[in-house]
Amino acid sequence: MLPRLVDLTYDLFRSFDRAPTAEALNACLLQAVARLGVESTFAGVIPMPGTPRVRQAAHVLIDSTPRGWTEHYFKAGHLERDPTIRRLTTDPTPFLWSEIEPLYRRDPAATRVMNEASSFRLRQGFTVPLVTLDGRVAGFSFGAERLDLSPELRGMLQLVAAYAFGRSVLLSEGPVRSPVELTPREREALQWAAAGKSEWEIGEMMAISEHGAEKHLRSVHRKLGAASRAHAVAEAMRRGLIT
Amino acid sequence: MRLPILAIIHQMEIAVIHIVTPENAAQYSEAMEQAYRLRHQVFVEEKRWTDLARPDGREIDTFDDDHALHMLALHEGRVVGYQRMLPTTRPYLLTAVLPDLCEVEPPCSPRVWEWTRYAVDRNHRDRGRILSPVGSALLTGIVEWGLESGVEAIVIEMNPLWLLRLVQLHFRVTPLGLPQPISGEDTVAVSAAFDHRTLKRLRETRGDAASVLTARPAARRRLAS
Repeated sequence: MLPRLVDLTYDLFRSFDRAPTAEALNACLLQAVARLGVESTFAGVIPMPGTPRVRQAAHVLIDSTPRGWTEHYFKAGHLERDPTIRRLTTDPTPFLWSEIEPLYRRDPAATRVMNEASSFRLRQGFTVPLVTLDGRVAGFSFGAERLDLSPELRGMLQLVAAYAFGRSVLLSEGPVRSPVELTPREREALQWAAAGKSEWEIGEMMAISEHGAEKHLRSVHRKLGAASRAHAVAEAMRRGLIT
Repeated sequence: MRLPILAIIHQMEIAVIHIVTPENAAQYSEAMEQAYRLRHQVFVEEKRWTDLARPDGREIDTFDDDHALHMLALHEGRVVGYQRMLPTTRPYLLTAVLPDLCEVEPPCSPRVWEWTRYAVDRNHRDRGRILSPVGSALLTGIVEWGLESGVEAIVIEMNPLWLLRLVQLHFRVTPLGLPQPISGEDTVAVSAAFDHRTLKRLRETRGDAASVLTARPAARRRLAS
């Protein structure tokens, strides 16, 4: 029996949870949607009108469109003419690009954007409008040479786009936060370090040698990617590993 | 930086969340009246869920029984926000009214409750697309209540646009089905698990680390026990 789309969606959510970086997440997403014909993904917050072209590209969160397209897109000022952008800022429901063709048919500038996209293997696509926690409009697009989507697949892509976007925002907010697990001894040593104890004192407290205490702390540093004792303590507290 | 005076007042707007259960319902009879009218205004008059319409302007259904837990957002003595939590160990909205939205085994656990009838007074609503102070206080209320009651996740039937917000707030979301139109609006059922990180995130977003819940009635024992 074929796996159901809701189960595939669930599996994708969980693999997004495990992805250590936005790039890894997108790779995992691309692999999953390849069977639908999707070749590339593009997502970002829509720049406010009037944002200088040079700063528009900084709004991009995920981009796996063919080489050269994004650079050309912003340089040419396509953002203001792109009919998919216009559509997603005015209507929050997802759409196939072919569905909005009647909206831009009579607009030569918009038509040019879509035609140029076609020459970058972005002939067809599906765009999911999003709104971020701080109220900014964002979009998540799936590009393809050919894209046929059942209502169920559209629903799945809508969910997957929102989840992928959210995880990517979280991953881009801070340093890579792969889950860190400390052993009970490492945690104990670090807890004493947080209380200002020296390695010798920690060794006494834990009934091990000074060298043993140092070994535990070195391992903690490595796991947390910490540059100093203070950094390790701060990072461990931030992650709730010690109190 | 100088803020317009209105913006300052808005930031200071404080909504406190009151939890109403059969044990303390007597104290809240007037507030619950306001809550039922707020529900009528939001769901019947605005969202046009006309099958909920009632001639007395109070939206009450069969789930408003002794098992329901009501949360009221009060501001200057008035109910400006509302939500209802239903146990999943009994029939609830998803299983009894919207079963088509659920393609998997529906949650059934004392640690999972259903979040329904989220409503914010028109004058206290999201400014633009941003989650309003009252809305985020209500959501924080759920997480605070859940963390101290042994509740770990909520079932939500929602517009898919909420999904990104939930992820950004550190809810761990599980889809229970794919989006479907319900009364003209795309709706998806999910279960959203939360933990202390969710609370931390909500408090950062609100810019306020204080609890939103008022002192609780004694009967708010651990649900999981």
